[in-house]
Amino acid sequence: MAVTASVTAPRPVSPRHFVRLKLRILGNGFRGQTAKVLLFVAGVLAGLFYAVAGFFGSALPGLAGSTDAAVLVAALGGGVLALSWTLLPLVFFGVDESVDPSRFALLPVSRRTLVTGLLAAALIGVPAAATLIATAGLVLCAGLLGGAAAALVQAVGVLLGLLFCVAVSRAVTSAFATLLRSRRTRDLAAVLLAVAAALIGPLQIALNRASADTDWRRFLPLAEIVGWTPFGAPYTAGVEVADGRYWAAPVKLLISAATIVVLLWWWSRTLESAMIGTASTGKAAKRTAPGAPVALLFPKVLSWARRDQFGAVLAREVRYWWRDARRRANLITFAVAALFVSAMVNFGDAIWGTEPTSEVSASPTTFALSMIFVGTLGAVTLANQFGFDGTAYAADVVAGVRGRVEIGARAGAFAVYVLPLVLVIGVLVGFLIGEPGWIPMAVGTLVATFGCGLAANSMLSVVGAYALPETSNPFALNTGAGMVRGLLSVVAMLVSVALAIPMLLGALFAGDVWLWLALPIGLVYGVGAAWLGSVIVGDVLDRRMPELLLTITPRR
Amino acid sequence: MKDDRFAMVLRGLAKSFDGKVAVGGVDLDVPAGSFYGLLGPNGAGKTTTLSMAVGLLRPDHGQAWVLGHDIWADPIQAKRLFGVLPDGVRLFDRLSGAELLAYHGLLRGMDPTVVDQRAAELLDVLALADAGQTLVVDYSAGMKKKIGLACALLHAPRLLVLDEPFEAVDPVAAALIRDILQRYVAGGGTVIFSSHVMEVVERLCSHVAILAGGVIRRVGTLAEVRGERSLEDVFVEVVGGRTATGEELAWL
Repeated sequence: MAVTASVTAPRPVSPRHFVRLKLRILGNGFRGQTAKVLLFVAGVLAGLFYAVAGFFGSALPGLAGSTDAAVLVAALGGGVLALSWTLLPLVFFGVDESVDPSRFALLPVSRRTLVTGLLAAALIGVPAAATLIATAGLVLCAGLLGGAAAALVQAVGVLLGLLFCVAVSRAVTSAFATLLRSRRTRDLAAVLLAVAAALIGPLQIALNRASADTDWRRFLPLAEIVGWTPFGAPYTAGVEVADGRYWAAPVKLLISAATIVVLLWWWSRTLESAMIGTASTGKAAKRTAPGAPVALLFPKVLSWARRDQFGAVLAREVRYWWRDARRRANLITFAVAALFVSAMVNFGDAIWGTEPTSEVSASPTTFALSMIFVGTLGAVTLANQFGFDGTAYAADVVAGVRGRVEIGARAGAFAVYVLPLVLVIGVLVGFLIGEPGWIPMAVGTLVATFGCGLAANSMLSVVGAYALPETSNPFALNTGAGMVRGLLSVVAMLVSVALAIPMLLGALFAGDVWLWLALPIGLVYGVGAAWLGSVIVGDVLDRRMPELLLTITPRR
Repeated sequence: MKDDRFAMVLRGLAKSFDGKVAVGGVDLDVPAGSFYGLLGPNGAGKTTTLSMAVGLLRPDHGQAWVLGHDIWADPIQAKRLFGVLPDGVRLFDRLSGAELLAYHGLLRGMDPTVVDQRAAELLDVLALADAGQTLVVDYSAGMKKKIGLACALLHAPRLLVLDEPFEAVDPVAAALIRDILQRYVAGGGTVIFSSHVMEVVERLCSHVAILAGGVIRRVGTLAEVRGERSLEDVFVEVVGGRTATGEELAWL
């Protein structure tokens, strides 16, 4: 066989190929999976609902003929949307990485082609479609206010806005994934992530207040400013034309386009390091091995644990919650969300409200409610605990670990991190609202709801597990998994709250006695629920071990 | 099926995925003390068969006994008796080698002092002691195979089930693994492993089964299966691979 030199120029790869690849992966994922199809349909319907609501919401100022309202809706509504695209994938939803960038590492595809292709593929999806429909209302709005020229400018703006949203979500998650991979920077990444999550809260409160405020014109200056940032610029360009400020429209579109270019460049940089993989994880850990293997396995906090099967799973899980980037990201998210929610519920008025601090009235009931929420939220992270392990769980199957041991030890290891955290939150909030006497009640409520949450989520983790992709991006999800994840979290929280109803009834009806009774009752109730859960779920697991392993094995 | 002559007995094991038959009824008798090679091309069903035999994958039909225990009726008892090196399965790789061994030892219900002693020895013999506290995720492919083998050996099982133990292993490590396995069999243990590397199988095995398309095509002692020819010739004939005529790929 001779190597002939007839090397013709290869046909160029266009974004079209990436889009088709994404659609094909999506389609193949549905093959023979009725549940997946149903979930997808549910996701489409939910997306459609928000899209239509957004469309009419953003078109409304046009129908009312108010330019001021249009600026407000376009700048603030669009800005919040763009900011959600920036932050929410990091904190809650992850990104759909079914077209995995690292698979292109060996193909002769230029960086530019790859990034535009991946961007095109990322545009295929329910969230992107919903965003486009929702913001399209702005085109109608601009058209009604300023005629065809305004509508045309706004149409360009809406498209740029969509590109910005998708590009920013990819760039940010990719950058964080890079940070989290590296041993040197992952703690920094954790802190940044926490800050990102914390940003969502104030945003929501500000919005709530704005919508409650009758004099919405007060927010016009803010809207003007947001309208000049990349978050609001693309959405306000059409309104500028309608308003007669023709010079502002091209400037805003330019701001938008330039930001997208910068984001894509940033994304391409971090993509490269993702494609090279984990090779550059910084210096290897210390190379000396002090002590015997068994002693090494057990972290210091577990020096009391028995050196048996239960202890081994417990120790391994404690190590994993810290060492596995995906699990750490989940832990950090919870910590921030829990702190935030309890602060918001209990003295939100004092911080954000217009009332003077002295008039803030904390009540045992709201306090108990916020504690129930924190306790429930704490356990939700466990809802796909086996999915985190993936095929590594085979080791426990082969060793024949009994279900009760497996579930109990996993719940215990998680509690090592989360229980102290929620207790600190409870005590802290108790002091901050100036009612230290309520702390025992808070602790009892927290332990009870957390115990119920452990039981409910352990059950879900066995019967509702799903596979996570084996990429180095802790934010990556398979297509459709975001919907599963959201749905499972909601189910888990509802079940946990239902299980904890006695604590709620106590807080509502038992009066002052409850402030003291809640502690012993809560402790017994929570520990009992967790124990009973591990027994029941453990027996289910005993019958389902191979099936569970199969559901958490990523399909390659 | 209580029969001391066999370390592993499979009867009619079958598995389909989405209507596609992966393994279509496998019968196998692995004599105690044998070095058993399960040969087959890619996609023949080797991993699926071994997964069903060790309790990782529930078969659609059929039964599997390991050292006299039905793996699906009495899993806890049966799983005590053998060690497994699965292929295409991650280890708990956020642990260091020593931690991983300690984890497996304690999972198997071993005494901690015995775990410490054996783990240190295994790390030493397999030349993994230098890796120290490096996490297994940062190990090379060959090192991962070695630590996986160490995990399977730690509780001194009477049967070893190894899926592709020589895949991605360099010659030095392969020689080491061969040596360890030969000593293990000489000491009365039984090994069944899957492979598609003929040289290794010919050099090590006392018994061979050739699996293709989810069914056993040839089975017996190495001499019986091989006859007068080389194992490779028999394998290619049984599997029915095509041979190049010289016409195709002319553009290469």
